[in-house]
Amino acid sequence: MKILSLDLIAFGPFTGRVLDLSGGAEGLHIVYGPNEAGKSSALRALRQLLHGIPERSTDAFLHPFPKMRIGGSLRSAGGEVLAVVRRKGRGGTLRAADDRAAVEESALERFLNGVDAALFATMFGIGYEDLVAGGREIVQGGGDLGRLIFAAGSGGADLGAVAEGLQAEADALFRPAGQKQKINEAVGRLKQRRAELKEAQLSGQEWARHEQALKAALQAKAGVEAELAAAQRSLSRLKRIEEAHPVIAGRRETLKALETVADAALLVDGFAERRTDALTRLRVAQSERSLARANLAALAKALSELEDSSVLLGHAETIEGVLQDLGSQRKAAKDRIALETRRNTLRTEARQILRNLREDLAIEDAEKLRIRKPEAVHIQELGAEYERVVTRIDGTREKIPGQELALASVAARLEALPKPRPVDDLKRPLAEAEEALPVEKQLASVRAQAGDLRQACMQAQARLGLAASQFQDLGRLAAPSIESVRIFEDRCDGLDRRITALAEEARKTEADLSEIGRRLDEARLEREVPTEADLAADREARDRGWRLIRRKLLGEVVGEGEMVGFTASNPGAGSLPDAFEAGLRRADETADRLRREADRVAAKARLLADQAAFRDRIAKLRAELTHAQSEKAAANAEWAGLWQPLAIAPRSPREMRQWLSDFKALVEKASEVLKLEAEANALDRAADDRRTALGVCLRSLSETVGATETLGALVRRARSLIEKEEGIGRQVEELSRERLRLAGELDSARSRLITLEEDHRRWQRQWEQAVQPLGLGPGTRPAEANAVMEELKSFFDKLREAEVLQQRIEGIDRDAEAFRVKVAALASAVAPELTGRPAEEAAGELQRSLTAGRESQSKRQALQKQVDQEQAKLRKSDGAVGEVESLLKGMCTEAGCKDSGELPEAERRSFRRRQLEAQLGQEEVRLVQLGGGSTVEDFIKEASAVDPDGIPGRIGQLKDEIGRLTVEKSELDQRIGAERTELGRMDGGDKAAQIAEGIQAVIGGLERDVEHYARLKIAGRVLALAMERFREKSQGPILRKASGLFNRITCGSFEGLRADHDADGKPVLVGVRNAGKETVLVEGMSDGTADQLYLALRLAGLEHYLEANEPMPFVVDDILIKFDNDRAAAALQALAELSQKTQVIFFTHHRHLVELAAKRMPGSILIEHSLA
Amino acid sequence: MFKFIHAADIHLDSPLVKLDAYEGAPAGAIRGATRRAFENLVQTAIDEKAAFVLIAGDVYDGNWKDYNTGLYFVARMGRLREAGIPVFIVAGNHDAASTITRSLHLPDNVRVFPADRPATFRLDDLDVVVHGQSFASPAVKTDLARSYPSAVPGCFNIGLLHTCMTGREGHEPYAPCTLETLREKGYDYWALGHVHRREVLLEDPPVVFAGNTQGRHARETGAKGCLLVSVDGAGRPTLDFKPLEVVRWEAEVIDAVNAASGYDVVERFRAILSQHLQKNPDVITVLRVTVEGETAAHDEIMSDPERWTNEIRAAAVDEAGERAWVEKVRLRTQLPPAAGGRKPEGAVGELLALVEELAADPEALSSLSSELADLEKKLPREFKEAAEGWRPDDPGWVKSLLAEAKPMLIRRLLQGRGDG
Repeated sequence: MKILSLDLIAFGPFTGRVLDLSGGAEGLHIVYGPNEAGKSSALRALRQLLHGIPERSTDAFLHPFPKMRIGGSLRSAGGEVLAVVRRKGRGGTLRAADDRAAVEESALERFLNGVDAALFATMFGIGYEDLVAGGREIVQGGGDLGRLIFAAGSGGADLGAVAEGLQAEADALFRPAGQKQKINEAVGRLKQRRAELKEAQLSGQEWARHEQALKAALQAKAGVEAELAAAQRSLSRLKRIEEAHPVIAGRRETLKALETVADAALLVDGFAERRTDALTRLRVAQSERSLARANLAALAKALSELEDSSVLLGHAETIEGVLQDLGSQRKAAKDRIALETRRNTLRTEARQILRNLREDLAIEDAEKLRIRKPEAVHIQELGAEYERVVTRIDGTREKIPGQELALASVAARLEALPKPRPVDDLKRPLAEAEEALPVEKQLASVRAQAGDLRQACMQAQARLGLAASQFQDLGRLAAPSIESVRIFEDRCDGLDRRITALAEEARKTEADLSEIGRRLDEARLEREVPTEADLAADREARDRGWRLIRRKLLGEVVGEGEMVGFTASNPGAGSLPDAFEAGLRRADETADRLRREADRVAAKARLLADQAAFRDRIAKLRAELTHAQSEKAAANAEWAGLWQPLAIAPRSPREMRQWLSDFKALVEKASEVLKLEAEANALDRAADDRRTALGVCLRSLSETVGATETLGALVRRARSLIEKEEGIGRQVEELSRERLRLAGELDSARSRLITLEEDHRRWQRQWEQAVQPLGLGPGTRPAEANAVMEELKSFFDKLREAEVLQQRIEGIDRDAEAFRVKVAALASAVAPELTGRPAEEAAGELQRSLTAGRESQSKRQALQKQVDQEQAKLRKSDGAVGEVESLLKGMCTEAGCKDSGELPEAERRSFRRRQLEAQLGQEEVRLVQLGGGSTVEDFIKEASAVDPDGIPGRIGQLKDEIGRLTVEKSELDQRIGAERTELGRMDGGDKAAQIAEGIQAVIGGLERDVEHYARLKIAGRVLALAMERFREKSQGPILRKASGLFNRITCGSFEGLRADHDADGKPVLVGVRNAGKETVLVEGMSDGTADQLYLALRLAGLEHYLEANEPMPFVVDDILIKFDNDRAAAALQALAELSQKTQVIFFTHHRHLVELAAKRMPGSILIEHSLA
Repeated sequence: MFKFIHAADIHLDSPLVKLDAYEGAPAGAIRGATRRAFENLVQTAIDEKAAFVLIAGDVYDGNWKDYNTGLYFVARMGRLREAGIPVFIVAGNHDAASTITRSLHLPDNVRVFPADRPATFRLDDLDVVVHGQSFASPAVKTDLARSYPSAVPGCFNIGLLHTCMTGREGHEPYAPCTLETLREKGYDYWALGHVHRREVLLEDPPVVFAGNTQGRHARETGAKGCLLVSVDGAGRPTLDFKPLEVVRWEAEVIDAVNAASGYDVVERFRAILSQHLQKNPDVITVLRVTVEGETAAHDEIMSDPERWTNEIRAAAVDEAGERAWVEKVRLRTQLPPAAGGRKPEGAVGELLALVEELAADPEALSSLSSELADLEKKLPREFKEAAEGWRPDDPGWVKSLLAEAKPMLIRRLLQGRGDG
């Protein structure tokens, strides 16, 4: 396959860049790209065209992913051509050259012969890093032949690393004697888990054993517990019996004592107390009875001594009523005095008031002055109205002079104002002028712009050598077109080049000619080389001599002159024969020399021929040169003619090209200037119209308008004029309105005053009528009338109050008479001795008598109450004596006594009997307690059967036995606990099951690792086998080729390479020197040499491949940067040779490599490309 | 009328086989799977108010020696006793081999059929009779069913039998019998055990393998559980499968055809996994993944099988968290013929040719396996016996390794030499 072109449509820094790689048979293509020119991108593009653009491309910095395109055309070994475009994407990235139709990858694969991206990069590509790595690999691998041959054949530099990587990975998994490798470790763990499983598993027998042991222990415990219980029972019984013995003896004694009091009456509890209590109560009752009798006698005596007051008490209520009235009487008498005083005062005051009002009227006639309520109100209302009427009149009167004054002032101001001028006609021109104001501004800017531009144009025009006067006509000037200039330029350039070339060639030819002359001179100086003409001349001379001799020999007459002539032509010869001999010798000599010095002769002949040819050539060149120069002169004239219309002397076409472009710019600018100026004039005219219109208007308003005033100034003036006049108009209007308003107000004030005065008069009439009843005159003021009415009211009030007091005094007098009559009647009924005494005195006496009567009455009642009490006490004590006596009698009967004196003894016997019976009861209760369920009698019988003295010994024995049994039981408890714990541990837990699961996990992991290990080992083995086999097969041809290449690339420093064996007998590669006598191990080679060895091997491997396979382009990336010039040239030569078989594309950053290659190789092999 | 449960092959405490734990694998969640499945069985019986439970053999795993397993079983039977549910068991070959059964005291609701003769247990209140016979030894080669008694008239007759029937692949040929023998007995239901795959051999009367309650390795795929049998008034049984397992084994093939890269394959795996997750939300899915088919990604995948196995597992962790476990990834892809049509020449070509040559030569293959002799010595016997992934004497196995090693080698040889 050959790449015909690489089309960098849109990739990396490239846009539409094409590398034409079709040149050469296959061609050594050197692609030169200085730094940053995208050499690496181009290299990538080449690979990615074939195998696709990777997902994460670094070449999308200019063209985004969707736009990325690499085009290319390929030719297969069979001559088929395929043009494709590769775009970036996930699928279908290959398209036809039109970038439309999809192209199947398989179409491309046919060209690739199954070489995928990796293989292409590895086997058909080599870069500087590969070279260095390859060289290092060679040295490190110690020249292992198999490895090197395989590497050469595959292009893989890291073969050792691959083999070692496989081994290292396998070693990490497993080593026969290892511990920590994954597999070793897993196997160890598996064993450990097995042991754990065994430990964790519970066997059925073990469980059964523990269960059995538990059962036995439980049984034994039950037996021990039974024994223990029996012993404890025996011990308890003996203890009881031991305790019971003294109780039984005590009981016997108690029974004997009981017999002595067996007949004693059993008296109830508290009998003795009751008896003592009864006797005490009897004594008390008897003494109470005597005391009551004595008290009754004393009380009867005191009663008989009290006096009788029943009559008085019969009238007690009446007396108390009188006494109550007595208080009221006394108070009323006191009040009456105060009332009389007050009444008199009021009457005096009333009289005083009346005297102040009307001296002519007595108090009794005062009634005439009383006025009715409505009248009083009427007077008050009129009083109030008076205030209103008077206030209004005053207010109105006060306002009028002010209003008159204001009216006068407004009129005066109005009079003073000037008459406004009519300005309406000014407004329209003003508005138009205002509209035109921006125009004026714009005008200034346009003028400035035009001025600047014109200035610049004039300068440019001067620079271009054009007359200033031509400015207006610049656009019309017939400048030559740029195309004609370009044509002239090409023509002149062509002519110049031709003249230069011809002159150069003539100069060179002349130099060559002079060189030939020099060399001819040299030859001549050395020794004249005979020419064929010399020989001919010599022979002619000889023949001439011979002819003379012959003629002489034949006896012919020979002229002396001829003879002398001939002889003279041979200096040194005295005679014809001498001359002939000399001539003969010379001819021979010349012929000999011609033969002997044939080379020099030929050279000379060639030089002479060349000299002639060069001379011809020079003549021809000179003629051509003259022709060219005259053509140039014609062209120059034509050139000058072209510029005639512009009246300038043209410089060179290149300069004039610039001139033309400047001229074009100038023309554009000039037209702009003219345009601007026209615009400015138009604007100016528009502004002027407005100015004139406005000026006319202003003048018509008698304003003076200056001829130079700007539109702006006029507008301002017009505006202020309008404002001023309109202001005056507004003022006149306002003042007229004010005057009207003030006059109206004044009129209304005057008419209201007339109305108000009428009101006042009407009021005066009403007022006179109203105050007349009060005895007041018409001139009375309302305040006065009100004061009189107040006084009258006070007067009548006082009179009415004095009347009320009089009535109360009379009432008091009536009450005093009634009291007196009531007291007199009572006295005559109850105490006649009081008759005739003043009522109040008699009443006091009656009161005292009544109090005494009441005291004696209450004393009698208290004594009577005491009598009743004493009689009750007497009755009670009588009853108590009887009751106690009968009680004692009953108690005697109960105790079986004749009288109460015998009772104490009976009581003592009863107590004794009770005491003994209680004791017996306690003893029997104790025996029942100790008897453990037996009856008392049975227990006594049982206890009596036991010898008390034997008991302590027996108890000791039992205690010992119990101790022993307790220990035994506790031991059994422990055993049971232990067994239960054991069984509890066997709880059906899944510990063992979990371990078994763990084992399976280990096996699972182990299986994975083991498989991987096996894969790695087999891969390692296969690799070793493959290397060995490839070496066997390919060692010969590859080594032979590599040897030759190595010789050449090292410029003969090494003769070649040879397969040898190292100390271990392993086949290794060595360098050969010194006619095979010296071998150099790869370890002994310098880094550079090792790199070159690697290159030689790679190229050899590739050539080997190409012998059996279709060609595939070999892509070389700047591998020669560390080679010296000679070795680099040699390596390039080797690549050039390779390029006879397959296309070689050599990318480089280094210019000197390109030059080096160019110097050493013909253009038919080397094709240069530059990315710069 | 009444319901009962038919289960078999519980294999308590037998571990899930060869689950290679990896980062993110739900190791804790699958622990004690057989026990938890069995607990589900007990709970199902209680929840469904089953009248009784039948276990058709293989409660235990034959070579499992931990008595704790038996104690655990007794405890669970105790729960059924509290719920008033009787349990009928025939011992299977594994139970006969187990040392656990010998000294175990089962609660009185559990009745194990004798091994020396067939017996019949009766449930008076339901008019149900259960006929059965236990295995006396691990390998019973006689037809036990033949001597089962005839059906008791007027009762619902159940035959409880541990058998391989006429033989089932992967199962020992124990207590063989024919469907005809069973049918002739005139029973209403045959509850069979031994074969781990659930199977209804006959509809009327139902002759049913319940299958095991929890799958334990990659070949025991699909839902595992018990049968809930409802018997109506007319004595007609209806079968309802109740899944019990906590871990479901599944095998999935990922078709790598047209996959452009290994990542495409991982994406396809994700899609398949997510279907499983949706379908089986309540169990942990253990997947054996086989990637096969002709794909352009073959080289990429096969050159680093470890990596792509891990990618798939990582995707499982990502997708399913604790709900899935990728048991094993088997990479069986091939290159499409078009791309592999022409072989590269030169050294690499030589290598490829050598690989082909070796693959075709059994002797060469066995000499290759001598590379593994050191490891062979070191590996424990139980591993070698159990591992599918270790058969150095099998040229086929070595050949498959060789096929896997090839792309790995090529990739390594050409590594890092592509576009950079």
